[in-house]
Amino acid sequence: MDCYTANWNPLGDSAFYRKYELYSMDWDLKEELRDCLVAAAPYGGPIALLRNPWRKEKAASVRPVLDIYSASGMPLASLLWKSGPVVSLGWSAEEELLCVQEDGAVLVYGLHGDFRRHFSMGNEVLQNRVLDARIFHTEFGSGVAILTGAHRFTLSANVGDLKLRRMPEVPGLQSAPSCWTVLCQDRVAHILLAVGPDLYLLDHAACSAVTPPGLAPGVSSFLQMAVSFTYRHLALFTDTGYIWMGTASLKEKLCEFNCNIRAPPKQMVCEEIFKIASMAPGALLLEAQKEYEKESQKADEYLREIQELGQLTQAVQQCIEAAGHEHQPDMQKSLLRAASFGKCFLDRFPPDSFVHMCQDLRVLNAVRDYHIGIPLTYSQYKQLTIQVLLDRLVLRRLYPLAIQICEYLRLPEVQGVSRILAHWACYKVQQKDVSDEDVARAINQKLGDTPGVSYSDIAARAYGCGRTELAIKLLEYEPRSGEQVPLLLKMKRSKLALSKAIESGDTDLVFTVLLHLKNELNRGDFFMTLRNQPMALSLYRQFCKHQELETLKDLYNQDDNHQELGSFHIRASYAAEERIEGRVAALQTAADAFYKAKNEFAAKATEDQMRLLRLQRRLEDELGGQFLDLSLHDTVTTLILGGHNKRAEQLARDFRIPDKRLWWLKLTALADLEDWEELEKFSKSKKSPIGYLPFVEICMKQHNKYEAKKYASRVGPEQKVKALLLVGDVAQAADVAIEHRNEAELSLVLSHCTGATDGATADKIQRARAQAQKK
Amino acid sequence: MAAHLSYGRVNLNVLREAVRRELREFLDKCAGSKAIVWDEYLTGPFGLIAQYSLLKEHEVEKMFTLKGNRLPAADVKNIIFFVRPRLELMDIIAENVLSEDRRGPTRDFHILFVPRRSLLCEQRLKDLGVLGSFIHREEYSLDLIPFDGDLLSMESEGAFKECYLEGDQTSLYHAAKGLMTLQALYGTIPQIFGKGECARQVANMMIRMKREFTGSQNSIFPVFDNLLLLDRNVDLLTPLATQLTYEGLIDEIYGIQNSYVKLPPEKFAPKKQGDGGKDLPTEAKKLQLNSAEELYAEIRDKNFNAVGSVLSKKAKIISAAFEVNNYIEDCIAQKHSLIKVLRLVCLQSVCNSGLKQKVLDYYKREILQTYGYEHILTLHNLEKAGLLKPQTGGRNNYPTIRKTLRLWMDDVNEQNPTDISYVYSGYAPLSVRLAQLLSRPGWRSIEEVLRILPGPHFEERQPLPTGLQKKRQPGENRVTLIFFLGGVTFAEIAALRFLSQLEDGGTEYVIATTKLMNGTSWIEALMEKPF
Repeated sequence: MDCYTANWNPLGDSAFYRKYELYSMDWDLKEELRDCLVAAAPYGGPIALLRNPWRKEKAASVRPVLDIYSASGMPLASLLWKSGPVVSLGWSAEEELLCVQEDGAVLVYGLHGDFRRHFSMGNEVLQNRVLDARIFHTEFGSGVAILTGAHRFTLSANVGDLKLRRMPEVPGLQSAPSCWTVLCQDRVAHILLAVGPDLYLLDHAACSAVTPPGLAPGVSSFLQMAVSFTYRHLALFTDTGYIWMGTASLKEKLCEFNCNIRAPPKQMVCEEIFKIASMAPGALLLEAQKEYEKESQKADEYLREIQELGQLTQAVQQCIEAAGHEHQPDMQKSLLRAASFGKCFLDRFPPDSFVHMCQDLRVLNAVRDYHIGIPLTYSQYKQLTIQVLLDRLVLRRLYPLAIQICEYLRLPEVQGVSRILAHWACYKVQQKDVSDEDVARAINQKLGDTPGVSYSDIAARAYGCGRTELAIKLLEYEPRSGEQVPLLLKMKRSKLALSKAIESGDTDLVFTVLLHLKNELNRGDFFMTLRNQPMALSLYRQFCKHQELETLKDLYNQDDNHQELGSFHIRASYAAEERIEGRVAALQTAADAFYKAKNEFAAKATEDQMRLLRLQRRLEDELGGQFLDLSLHDTVTTLILGGHNKRAEQLARDFRIPDKRLWWLKLTALADLEDWEELEKFSKSKKSPIGYLPFVEICMKQHNKYEAKKYASRVGPEQKVKALLLVGDVAQAADVAIEHRNEAELSLVLSHCTGATDGATADKIQRARAQAQKK
Repeated sequence: MAAHLSYGRVNLNVLREAVRRELREFLDKCAGSKAIVWDEYLTGPFGLIAQYSLLKEHEVEKMFTLKGNRLPAADVKNIIFFVRPRLELMDIIAENVLSEDRRGPTRDFHILFVPRRSLLCEQRLKDLGVLGSFIHREEYSLDLIPFDGDLLSMESEGAFKECYLEGDQTSLYHAAKGLMTLQALYGTIPQIFGKGECARQVANMMIRMKREFTGSQNSIFPVFDNLLLLDRNVDLLTPLATQLTYEGLIDEIYGIQNSYVKLPPEKFAPKKQGDGGKDLPTEAKKLQLNSAEELYAEIRDKNFNAVGSVLSKKAKIISAAFEVNNYIEDCIAQKHSLIKVLRLVCLQSVCNSGLKQKVLDYYKREILQTYGYEHILTLHNLEKAGLLKPQTGGRNNYPTIRKTLRLWMDDVNEQNPTDISYVYSGYAPLSVRLAQLLSRPGWRSIEEVLRILPGPHFEERQPLPTGLQKKRQPGENRVTLIFFLGGVTFAEIAALRFLSQLEDGGTEYVIATTKLMNGTSWIEALMEKPF
């Protein structure tokens, strides 16, 4: 068994640690590392080296060089440093290199040495210069903390969303603290600093002195301090060569250690030590499996031992887990083989954990490969998640490996392969030496209609690189107009955006572009654009109808659409105008427009309306009452009801109301008034153009049989029977029907014969029928 | 709960459940007690999807109608606006929110756009300074609402006017979206047929949208065999005629709204004369009409003989062209309802491929003098929609159409119909005849008529993966989804149901439309009242 634990060294009484060389670094360093500024990113990330950092004593001609390597020492980038003196380097969680300059400017580079952006830590920092700086990581992202020449701290907890915070002054601080670090507690960044024998904790409001519990006496100065990655633990190194370790909250001491070294260490790292569980059952299983391979009986013995203790399940689990924490594939294999061997003797061991571990290890081994150089531990990998790991591969432009991993893990296309391809395409568009045509074609060939690929995202990237034409070409492949249009608008291709929006049929999208165009173009150009897009034009008209009436008028004017202009002014005569003169004027404009539209009918009708309006005004003045906005018909009726028959006649003549309608009108009005005398006079004024049946009907409606009968006698032969029946004269109706020898009339009368009273009449009809049939 | 939706060949309860689920999910996103502020127009259609009980289960405690100024007081955590995406409604919402802010305890505001979120509206809210006040701004894609086992409607009142008068395709876009939702639930429809300009556009949008969803391959076995998209303006005549089916007549006389009819209280007065007056109901009685009620399901599509005799007489009067002029003239002179007059004038115009200029001008003048000059706007709208027009030099195509499609049938059996013409006592609705001829023998037989009718006719295929291709059993009927763009009448629905029930018909229909309508509601939607 010793071969497995040979590289473990004791740390204190109950813990062990091991140290192994991951890679033999490939870099070819000419300088000593101690002469460089160095920053290694966590989670197996890249390493940045700034050689010949700016120093006062050196000649200005020797420029510093910034090199970036993978964790395995493969060079990723190298560039001459042309900016100001750098105080500190560090990597953000997104694997961006933050270079803090002495003047407080922070320059941000990608891991390929591509300049991304820069920001400043504020005026105070600029004036007092940077003395020291730290890059730190929180759950919100990566932060920068600065110690200025004035011994004040300024920090930003998230460089992605830059908010500078100047920390309060430390009372009596005259020189730089002997050591300091950033602590993150309760989602807030604090600064812990040591001044001689005193420790201070700075938060955004106050500075408070703190004392670590159980600190050995005699400390006159803290020389170095370190916090664990999770901000849970803290280590302090004193001038007495004593190390204190405890919780970062300074509430609990975990251990202390005297290393008897007085010189301050160059660097101190505080790691949480991974506690390896008792390997007992797992270790036994591993042995059992080995013996089995040797075809030794011992295998059975070991196995029995484990089983007797009822620990086989646990043993298998331990072997699986242990495999995860091994870096050597051989060791991983042995442990997994043992787990698989043990599984055979278990009835229901869920296979998932074993399968997943095999998969995870394949992925881990692949990325740990020297050429890739991401030496992640299993725990780091689990914390990072596969998605972030893929992102990191993409960041290193290792697209084929990323795609292989996606395919191997069978990730859904949208999260996996499509996403990688999209990233690849985004990288592709940055290759400025390739023509727009070729890039667009290459991208489309590789991506095709892969689900989940957003051509608009790629186009946005192309636009970001200043390749507008390429962006437009790429957008052609984007099937979703909802995605095309906003980007086209951003690229100021509003007219193209308009036609894309129209193509989609999504009117909301069209409106959005229209309102954009309206602000962007001058009115003339805007109208001109609309003119060429009928669908957009009609939508915009609808918009104006509800929102901007005046613009609607201008649109009609531009198109010489006189018919619609006419209607527009008709509406306006109701909506906008109160005074009669104003209304008439609006109508006049409408009539003129109708003439221009060659709609003579509408023009004349509108002129009639103006005439009527003026007349109604006069009637209101002279007679009182309500006339405005009555129809012509109702105006005449109102006049008759008011007894102004002369005026009614005059109005009917002026507007040439057809005789028939006028008779109906008068008949209805007089009957409503129950002015029977006037009605009779009217009926005799000349021969009725509507006959006399309506007179009969209307009198009966008013329950005036007496009057009705007067008119029944004057009804023409065709409707006589009907009239007589209406007034209830069944006998006479029968006589007329018989005289007419009309079968339909006969049955109609017959259907009105009720009871005994009409018995004789009914007989008479039957006889007439019989007689008619004989002939 | 909604059993009547699952009676048909296609279980429309699936759709109802899907939209209910979407609603619940949205409500649960806004944790805590809620008040809903309703765009009044939406309450009717929503009633068919979710009763108050469902809302209550999800902590909806108060409901208000959207109107200006302050919201009524309500002790709730969330205030949710259920609105159509219209600018004028955004202004009201902004007013509500702004006056609320000044009043102490803050609440969470949310907006649910029905059926679609709108950038335009959100920009408006932004301009009014309230966009940031809303925590959730989402859309509820309630495009097609199931009304019955074979009937879906968007209940979009303005659809016809917007599409055919104003060139606004918004409702067509919603229709296409609704069809995509249907396909997501019931499988890709392999064949699309269509007639008319709007039909063409909807089909284009569908094909485009399908392209946008590449990747999410639809693996549902197709329920519909065909989709037939029909423009209302291909058949302007049918809705103008009086429907003579039971349900059609109820709609003509009382109006059916969201499957409810409101009957006047006097219809429910006690029959005995002595005790009248005491318990007289004073409020209109609201009845739901759908196939859940067995008797109604049986009679709804039958010809209404008793009343029919009166009306069909009138119909016959109208049919004699030379008498029509007098009849219309009398109607105007006696000042019958304007809608009735307009319906008659339009009917005459459509039947004759327009009116003689002199006749048309005469009618128009009479209408303006009798009903008021403001109706010049309405007349103009009717002309734009093609319902009213002067005869041009060309020949009158209507007789050709009538003969080829056998629209006028002489011997109609109203009790035991043998042809769809029973629904109008002798007139077969052109729209339904087109559907009938498409299924058998196919439109190739009527190419000439199709060319006369407005708009293109077309056929599109949506390829299916081999696993989903249907092998029809002998004697198994096809299922056709027929979508009326611009509205459909109950009589047309009855005619389609009649075809579905024919033993050797071969096709069953599911009907979808932008709006359930009749001649009156249709003309009313086209009228413009400037004051």
